[in-house]
Amino acid sequence: MIKNKETYRQQKKVQNSIFTFLAFAFFIFSMLQLNIVPERIVRSIERLGYIFGNMFPPVTNEPVSLFTAAIESIQVAILGTILGVIISLFLAVLAAKNLTISPYLGYAIKGFAGFVRAVPALIWALLFIVAVGLGPTPGILALAINSIGMLVKVYGEALEEIDMGIVEALESAGASKVQVILQGVFPSVMKAFTAWSLFRLDVNIRYSAILGVVGAGGIGWELMKAAQMSRYDEALMVTIVIFGMVMSAEVLSEYMKKRANAASAQALN
Amino acid sequence: MKQEALNISNQGEKGLSATKPSKYSEYKRRRKIMLKSQGFITAIILLLAIWSIWGTGFNLLSLFFGTYEILVFIFTDMFPPDLTVIGQLIGPALDTLYMSYVGMVISVVVSLVLGVLAADNLTPHWTIARVSRAVTAFLRSVPAVVWAIILVSGIGLGPLTGTIAIGLSGIGILGKAYAEVLESIDGAQLEGVRATGANWFQVIGQAVWPQFKAGFVSWSLYKLDMNIREAAILGLVGAGGLGYYLQGSINLFQYKEAATAILMIFALILMVEYMTAKIRERII
Amino acid sequence: MMETILEIRQLKKTYPDGTEALKNINLSIKRGEFIVIIGPSGAGKSTFLRSINRLSEPTSGEIIFHGEDIVKANRAKLRKMRRNIGMIFQGFNLVKRLPTVRNVLHGKLGYMSTWKGALGLFNQEEVEEALSILERVGLEDQAFKRADELSGGQQQRVAIARAINQSPSIILADEPIASLDPNSSRVVMDYLQKACQEEGFTTIVNLHQVDFAKEYADRIVGIKNGEIYFDGPVKELSDDVIQSIYAKGKEAMPV
Repeated sequence: MIKNKETYRQQKKVQNSIFTFLAFAFFIFSMLQLNIVPERIVRSIERLGYIFGNMFPPVTNEPVSLFTAAIESIQVAILGTILGVIISLFLAVLAAKNLTISPYLGYAIKGFAGFVRAVPALIWALLFIVAVGLGPTPGILALAINSIGMLVKVYGEALEEIDMGIVEALESAGASKVQVILQGVFPSVMKAFTAWSLFRLDVNIRYSAILGVVGAGGIGWELMKAAQMSRYDEALMVTIVIFGMVMSAEVLSEYMKKRANAASAQALN
Repeated sequence: MKQEALNISNQGEKGLSATKPSKYSEYKRRRKIMLKSQGFITAIILLLAIWSIWGTGFNLLSLFFGTYEILVFIFTDMFPPDLTVIGQLIGPALDTLYMSYVGMVISVVVSLVLGVLAADNLTPHWTIARVSRAVTAFLRSVPAVVWAIILVSGIGLGPLTGTIAIGLSGIGILGKAYAEVLESIDGAQLEGVRATGANWFQVIGQAVWPQFKAGFVSWSLYKLDMNIREAAILGLVGAGGLGYYLQGSINLFQYKEAATAILMIFALILMVEYMTAKIRERII
Repeated sequence: MMETILEIRQLKKTYPDGTEALKNINLSIKRGEFIVIIGPSGAGKSTFLRSINRLSEPTSGEIIFHGEDIVKANRAKLRKMRRNIGMIFQGFNLVKRLPTVRNVLHGKLGYMSTWKGALGLFNQEEVEEALSILERVGLEDQAFKRADELSGGQQQRVAIARAINQSPSIILADEPIASLDPNSSRVVMDYLQKACQEEGFTTIVNLHQVDFAKEYADRIVGIKNGEIYFDGPVKELSDDVIQSIYAKGKEAMPV
């Protein structure tokens, strides 16, 4: 018994060494394939030092257009999120295997969401630009569809985890499907849904900030301009504004959450 | 207890007229609080939506229009994908893989140092912890694509730039994650090993590593999953890999080639996810 | 008292894996009876009760309720029939995040138009009725608390209130006290019995505690291996009969 344990540990140790060796070998191989040689590393570290050195202090020459672009990005993120949330609510109910009207429809929706999720948002933006033209609209649609990919999955998981007893109880009281979902299921998953939706808003704001690089409007374009002129101090300023956008969304959603919690504490004591 | 409860219910039976109005008004009062709160949230969301629609010129029609257009685009312009270019795509696909992997290794190495420095229970000094956390927070707040944009102009086009961009944004995420995992390890075991007179390296090896391993492996592999997605799009701004090819073929209106590139990205993502899941199973 | 309210004929239920949960159940139930079903776990008690309102679809047979066959009812018809059948579960099955009174109001969903019910637009009369039913189960002080803040026994009383609010003619209770301590069990059973006496509900309860069964039932039905093994008034349920109902089953004799 003890001997078995010993050999097992020995095996595990050998296995781990092999893993570590392979990981290291693949690392060296990748470096060589990418033609990353010590000389280039040293040079790029120098360049990195130069870039970081030139970032400070952050400045902007066009505060107004930077501000307008930031607002546009936020608006794109908001609309992308709202559309994504609304559509996902419907699709998730149809996709969840405990609520769906047909298992095949459920698989179809899950498959669709899986595909949509695996294609990055920026690529969706690229495709929508080709399909509907430049501007904020392709950005909104790209974020909406990418959000659907994720939200259908997480909403669906939340729905599949609910206590089916609630559904049975309401059905046995003669409630219809819509009533069961709105009166029994949604109150039970509201918290998870809210958390995921707000998380997605956060993700969408980050995405909307970079959509501009493929021409879908917003603050990403300002960043491209600054970078192309090698104005790292301006680029840093844009970055700070992006950071501020993410933070302000967080502050607003925290405030709303707090208010809602205070209200329900008052109503349910 | 049972007796008491039954008595109450006997009183309450049917002849309730005395208590009814006050109870109902209580119900209404509480319902009003909830409705007001829900109304407030709905109003804010509606206002934000209207403000955004006004600002971006979006209209609901473009939702249907856009869906229609993208379907037409995908099914007439992109379909069927031009599979003859797969040979050309293998190089960029491998580059994307290498970029993600090397980027992960870079961020793992740097994050290990920053994580130890940032963890409250291991840091040599709390000011160092603060600085280390600020650095990771800054790196985290900037998406990899933004790093790529800045680096392309500073270092030049190509996969090296993409690798560094992935590495930098990875440090932001892994530095924080490692620090949190390290902070959650059991302090008593640390003390125990320290009490035997072990030096710092021995403490790390004997007490910290065994508890840190699982979190370390799963976060690092998670980052590799993320990296492959990021690496695939970094090319759109000129940082090498599949994205670069995708951008090129779209600029040349070769949508059927672009479709193949997208499928390739899709396949690469699934493949890496499958492999990281397998490795995670083996190690943990 | 003599009118037959529920007539079950040749009820069979076979699960997809081939398990015969109910082999051939024939049972006639009269208005106002308080029936307790006993039997070892896995005997088919729960499946039987759940077949009556088709939470579990019977494989074949007839369930005649108020002169109509539930088994043959279409969706809309089934909804209408179900609101006449209150159901109480072992796990209470309340919507935990909603206030108690709303859970009671859910009993009225079957009577409301789909959208009114879905949006929870209950009128004054409905709310007052729900509040007064809560008062009858001794929970008027808990009316506005979140359901999961209540103890297990209290939650089960809310579930009883929800069933009462359906104004059903029959109540099915599937192991209503299996997850409660002895004291709360007694309180819950008392309320259930009281409600049924006052309203004249016909009641069918699954219990695995034989002592409780003897105490509350008018009539006891013993189910074993998916078949009715005993059917009669409490006084006919001798210890020998109990022994043989639970015999062969692996589980210990219930106390």
